[in-house]
Amino acid sequence: MTLVGKIIAVHSYKGGTGKTILSVNLAAAFVKHGKKVCLLDLDFRAPSLSTILKDEKVECWLNDYLNGVCEIDKVLVDLTDITKDAGKFFVGLANPSTEAIRDMSAKDRKWEMRALGRLLALRDSLLNEKGFDYLIFDTSPGLQYSSINAIVSADLVLVATTFDRSDVDGTRRMLRELYDLFEKKTEVVLNKVLHDISSKAGKEEMQTMMKDIYQVPLLGIIPCFCDVLKGEGNIIFAREKPEHPFTKILDEIANRIDKNTL
Amino acid sequence: MAKQEALGKKPMQVLEKIRENLEKLNEKMEVMIELQKHGKKDLQPMPDAPLDVMTLLSMPDHLRKTAMTVCRLGRATAEEIAGQTHRARAVESAYLNQLVIMGYLKKERKGRKAYFYVERENQG
Repeated sequence: MTLVGKIIAVHSYKGGTGKTILSVNLAAAFVKHGKKVCLLDLDFRAPSLSTILKDEKVECWLNDYLNGVCEIDKVLVDLTDITKDAGKFFVGLANPSTEAIRDMSAKDRKWEMRALGRLLALRDSLLNEKGFDYLIFDTSPGLQYSSINAIVSADLVLVATTFDRSDVDGTRRMLRELYDLFEKKTEVVLNKVLHDISSKAGKEEMQTMMKDIYQVPLLGIIPCFCDVLKGEGNIIFAREKPEHPFTKILDEIANRIDKNTL
Repeated sequence: MAKQEALGKKPMQVLEKIRENLEKLNEKMEVMIELQKHGKKDLQPMPDAPLDVMTLLSMPDHLRKTAMTVCRLGRATAEEIAGQTHRARAVESAYLNQLVIMGYLKKERKGRKAYFYVERENQG
């Protein structure tokens, strides 16, 4: 089987680790590098991409695709115009209405099984047929059906974690009891770091410490930037602040993923 | 002339039937061998049990690997599954048949080949 693209699921144990900001800016970094990228909001319990990307011309939601009432073409929104970059940027949004959230929370096991089938089918329809280089799934935190479906469908799981004690414990458990069981390639991104990692020694010390905790190498360390918090989720850094350190770190992460062939 | 041809074909048909039955018998024996290896607790028959991710998580490792590969490929023979898991075809055949008995997979014969797949559309 020839893999022509990659599916990345951005996941975390707890909420508030920065999954959505990472997903959006990682996608934007790939687009800046000339890639054709599709970002899909699989966080059906708390959809947020529609707010960040301020898109109102949605014909169908991802909910509709998973419900089997439309094909994926109807869901995708082309945002290439707003990026002004070499690549192409598409998004698929989750329906943020309360009714849709309630509906998605009440699905049974058979529906979830069919949803898994439709997610797995995206490899053919988007990567193989439409030539996307990357599909990025922004998921719900923890052990939700939708996020595990996303993990099973992905080639790479990017785990966003913080220094929060319960987050560290939960992430460690998930590495052992979730991603390992599905034999998924997993990379950890440590986000919202308050320690000084400006020096090379400080950064190396942090990497060693995290490797001891998680037993996997860190893909990136992202300091807690006030600008990211001040942006209130409204800024795509890769586009609006190309020289910001946050953008540079995301560029580096995108480069590492790109070089790491499957 | 036509009668002679028909008579000539008959031994071939009988041999083909014997071969098919031997293959079926072989599959059943492989399942029994695997049952002895892993114990009966792994094999609880449930008609049309949904193969969702929580079920995958709770499966023993050896069956999860096979089930996930079928999910990924959509529809495959034991040989194709073995090509992905790097385990022997006979082993995969036994695991696949276990998953069929457990109700997670469907099996369809087309000529000499047996295809395994997850029934998604007709459930629920």
